Amino acid sequence: MTAHDWFDEHRMEYAMHLLDDKDTATFEAHLAGCPACREEVAHIERDLAWLPMGTQPAAPRPDFRRRIVDDVLGTSRARRRTGWIPTALAAGLLLAAAAGWWSGARRAGRAASELASARARVAALEDTLSIIRGAGRVLQASVQLGGAQGGLLIFADERTHRWNVVVHGLPPAPPTGRYQFWFICAEGMVRGAEVRMPGTKPANFTTDMPTVPCTVQGAALSVEPMDATTGPPKGDMLAHLML
Amino acid sequence: MSREASLLRRLVARDEQALVELVDLATPWMLGVAQSMLRDRDEAEEVVMDAFRTAWQNVADAQQDGRGLMPYLLRVVRHRAIDRLRARRRRQMKLARIAGETSGCDVVRAVEPDEAGQPGWHVHQMVHAALARLPAEQAAAVRLAYFEGLTHSEVAQTLDIPLGTVKTRLRLAFVRLRGELSGLKDWVL
Repeated sequence: MTAHDWFDEHRMEYAMHLLDDKDTATFEAHLAGCPACREEVAHIERDLAWLPMGTQPAAPRPDFRRRIVDDVLGTSRARRRTGWIPTALAAGLLLAAAAGWWSGARRAGRAASELASARARVAALEDTLSIIRGAGRVLQASVQLGGAQGGLLIFADERTHRWNVVVHGLPPAPPTGRYQFWFICAEGMVRGAEVRMPGTKPANFTTDMPTVPCTVQGAALSVEPMDATTGPPKGDMLAHLML
Repeated sequence: MSREASLLRRLVARDEQALVELVDLATPWMLGVAQSMLRDRDEAEEVVMDAFRTAWQNVADAQQDGRGLMPYLLRVVRHRAIDRLRARRRRQMKLARIAGETSGCDVVRAVEPDEAGQPGWHVHQMVHAALARLPAEQAAAVRLAYFEGLTHSEVAQTLDIPLGTVKTRLRLAFVRLRGELSGLKDWVL
């Protein structure tokens, strides 16, 4: 038995995250210098990527989805606001270690990653813009909610069968409800995306046609009770548009 | 472009609405994984929230990963849940040493969502069928080790079999599952 046999035997357990902390550290140290193990672990992870879906899904508590979004975006914005502090510290540390090749390589890797990310953002924005510019139809409706006067605007790209949807002028959804976008289909109402109003700014999103087979005839916007996450509309209808 | 690819692209572009959609689609599955392992709803929610935070901050990694957005999220949730289980065990062992007793965990039964309207349900059915085709003794080892996060020793103790047998059963099961599940691609159809 060679020293490598142990790693051969434990690839599967490592990939499945079943090794204890000590063996995991041993395996990770080995992976850094073993392309064959890296490749095989990546294959196993890819082949069994869907295995967690063997678990039954669990219905979230009514407000959980909103708490997630608020938490993620809140953390992200706080990070951006205070971003200069770690950035300045990191810059100082990088300067101190400028003589080391390792830090240089790491910075280059980060720059490449940021460039790839920026390219992806530009590509996504171009994609959104292409829907707006290529829209065969532009539909709009007024929305009134309390004292607020807003609107629902849809750019329908008939080539790609995608819509860019803008909802503007509405306040954030009440604590007990959520804005819901609907497809009006010949077969009935089909639930689209939840619309999150970011303060006073418009909400803007791109949507594909419904995943269930149906004939789309229009779209609507409603305020749904927080716990109404499936089935037909149960809340107040704010606007609807027909193609 | 597939719906998942489109969603990923918009997430990379920091489209907040795409985050709302992702949360809507993925939360029941992520919560299911976390709850089955942790058996504590509050802790499971913390893990799911943490996974979304990680995904939002590192969404370019998920794009470069090439294995898909949902597998990336499920992997993060599972790893976080295992980390918590291990920390919980260490804490329980420490408490047991101090107080001479172990504390129990809050067992909460997962609530079933509306299955028919659940995106990804077809993937669940395929994985479930593959697990059901495993020999019973292998399926039991996979359930305890992979889906409930027990250590090999705990699996051996629960099933009253030697440690080596646990490892053998797990390896045989995963080899078989690899063959059956490697063809799965999309979850949002």
